[in-house]
Amino acid sequence: MAEKFFIKELPNGLTLLGQQMEHVASAAMTFVVPAGSAHDHSEAAGSAAVACEWVLRGAGDRSTRQLNEALDSLGCQHDENVQSEHLAFSAAQLGRNLADVLAIYADIILRPRLEDATFEPCRELTLQDLSSLEDEPARKCMLMLREKFYPYPLGRCVYGTAESLRALTAQTVRKHLAAHFSARGSILSIAGNIDWNAFCDLAETFFGPWPSRPQKPPKAVPNAPGVTHEKKESAQTHIALAYRTVPISDRRYYAARMAETVLSGGMSSRLFTEVREKRGLAYHVSTRYHSLKKHAGLFTYAGTRPDVAQQTFDVTLHELRRLVEGIEPDEMDRARTQLKSALVMQGESTPSRSSALAGDWYHLRRLRSLQELSDAIDKVTVDEVLGYLREFPPEDFTVLVVGPENIDTHQAYGA
Amino acid sequence: MNMEFRQAKLDNGLTIIAEVNPAAASMAAGFFVRTGSRDETPEVSGVSHFLEHMMFKGTPRRTAFDVNREFDAMGANYNAFTTEENTVYFGAVLPSFQTGLLDLLGDMMRPALRREDFNVEKNVILDEIARYEDQPRFRVYERLMGQHFQGHPLANSILGTTESVRAMKLEGMQDYFDRRYSPGNVLAVGVGQVDFTPFVDKVAEMCASWPSYEVTRATAPFAGTKTRTIVADRKVNREHIGLMSPAPSGQDETRFAAQLAATIVGDEAGSRLFYALVDPAIADEASMAYDPMDGAGAFLTFISADADRAAQALQIAQAEFRKFMDEGPSDQEMRAAKNKIASSATLKGELPMGRLTAVGFDWVYRKEYIPLARQIEMLFDVTRDQVMEVVRTHDLASPTVLTLGPLENL
Repeated sequence: MAEKFFIKELPNGLTLLGQQMEHVASAAMTFVVPAGSAHDHSEAAGSAAVACEWVLRGAGDRSTRQLNEALDSLGCQHDENVQSEHLAFSAAQLGRNLADVLAIYADIILRPRLEDATFEPCRELTLQDLSSLEDEPARKCMLMLREKFYPYPLGRCVYGTAESLRALTAQTVRKHLAAHFSARGSILSIAGNIDWNAFCDLAETFFGPWPSRPQKPPKAVPNAPGVTHEKKESAQTHIALAYRTVPISDRRYYAARMAETVLSGGMSSRLFTEVREKRGLAYHVSTRYHSLKKHAGLFTYAGTRPDVAQQTFDVTLHELRRLVEGIEPDEMDRARTQLKSALVMQGESTPSRSSALAGDWYHLRRLRSLQELSDAIDKVTVDEVLGYLREFPPEDFTVLVVGPENIDTHQAYGA
Repeated sequence: MNMEFRQAKLDNGLTIIAEVNPAAASMAAGFFVRTGSRDETPEVSGVSHFLEHMMFKGTPRRTAFDVNREFDAMGANYNAFTTEENTVYFGAVLPSFQTGLLDLLGDMMRPALRREDFNVEKNVILDEIARYEDQPRFRVYERLMGQHFQGHPLANSILGTTESVRAMKLEGMQDYFDRRYSPGNVLAVGVGQVDFTPFVDKVAEMCASWPSYEVTRATAPFAGTKTRTIVADRKVNREHIGLMSPAPSGQDETRFAAQLAATIVGDEAGSRLFYALVDPAIADEASMAYDPMDGAGAFLTFISADADRAAQALQIAQAEFRKFMDEGPSDQEMRAAKNKIASSATLKGELPMGRLTAVGFDWVYRKEYIPLARQIEMLFDVTRDQVMEVVRTHDLASPTVLTLGPLENL
């Protein structure tokens, strides 16, 4: 089936994207604003996270309570998310309520109240989010890995530090918002049961007056590979490792995704088979691709009992490296089918689609159809995947270990 | 969307139901087995969940790797889960793989249970127990269920303990399987773009030869112990608080009122607990869910707070419960909660995987099919008085309480 895509740029630089979907009653919206945590000043780390809470504490004519009531009454399922490059606002509801929801988001984005009285609880909640990480070692392990892996501050923990949060003032966060809430650089996408022309008219009315600010990417300083052990009296040893791959915009992107899928796409994948099925070392082991605009990594995680942590690490590392030696045709076939099937299933979901539109635009400045993705996956050959693996070999790992004891990782660092 | 409900029954008692949606791009199928930790004896604590893992380990004609490879070769999105009272195996595929998916799932339902697989998988289960040990919220849930339902089978742990799993024998698992996986205790469910006649034919081919026998379950009602337990653990950074009160069962007609009550009192945003605890940052999390079960039910509230504010947070939550019992909801709260629930069900209902458990559990608990539109009507028919009635009948304000964290007293 051919998708109906729409693209429009408003005179102030805001990009509008749409996809009309048959047989659905819902319409989902994704709004990304270039105010992510990588833009936080280092002494004010956590600004974006606090801002993300704060803009929901009353906007336009509505108090916090009125804002929640209005969104709830429209059946709006919403989520606000701090990422490295963006703040992402997502909202899903019946298509007929989209216009009213959009009006509320115009207040949240353009007219948040940002009152002194609501600042303190927002900062306090972010401090609690930070302290909650101590009770979620698996998540903490992955966040720390991202921080050590990406050039600083692109992977920095979005919650900042206890010191930076305590030092934060309402004025600093207001400045963050004023500098980075900008029409140009923002993307507003919708998918599902939509009326594109009516949506554009409304978006122009609501967001037409929104000014643009000059956006420059944060200065990024490369991180050196290496091992970090965070000692913790946890029941499991949490092991995470990352190495460099190509970003979404690279021509070798599909080869990288095929490699990821052969390694970790399903229960017949190499990591699952070797680590869990054959040896019973870990309940969870997986590799996931993650991409920022210019940097990307393959992130592997395994949670394991401390007495077999070393073996889990050794087997995992061996499998990452063994991929370069060759991939069987049936592994390629399975990986292709898995990637394509996931595309169709995600294609049924309005929130997945609106988020995919925004992602495509940010990374590629265009929208990819299901057919294009499917063809691209079909076209990748074994030689291309192996060629990619030789150019981006599993080396120079960034390793993070959270647990009672460290493990020996020297073999992760060359001969 | 034009949905059609279909049903069939094999001679050995296995029921097949489907919600057919010709407009869907995929289909999902599941085998729902009415068994879980509540159906276990203490010496095999954790066997339902361990068995769920073993069901993926192959059959007389498939190895464990065959099972995994075939799922992946179909591009299936597949998994299984075990609760106190259900074990569900499911997969979603493109419609052309319907028969292949049923061949695989149906075959898995008669597992080989090989000893060498059992021994390797035992280590995976032990690691899974350790994994949950690092999640205070899960520990609170498990211990709170144990406290609240003390003396009732719903107190049984799903994962079991390190000791019970270590001591588990293959023979004990085989015996449990033989007692619980009778065709009359299994439901095959299809949703999305299902081709029903071949669906039934394939399930019959895979399952019609299973011998049938009687399966029973004790479903005594239970009011909860209303005890208060403090579990001190200095390795835990924050205080994690769980509260559990009785609620309508999965068979009870007041379940829609209970769902509304849980949303109004404890939805993650915009609820009474949100304004009382999260908005002023007394707790970073405070949420209530309604869990309808077989012959019993529970309102379950989680709060996470700094240790020095935990006592205050608990007090405020209980005061909110009391106040809600006294005043009931406002019209505005009723309206918002109904719209929230209806919208969430509609969004989930647009995906076959989202409908699978809803359609399956309606049948497991009440032998009925309710189209989504009808469910939303039933939700909108609930009155303020019915919501107030449901929390009063079940005495929301007298919960069983369990806390886990650095505090020794609270």
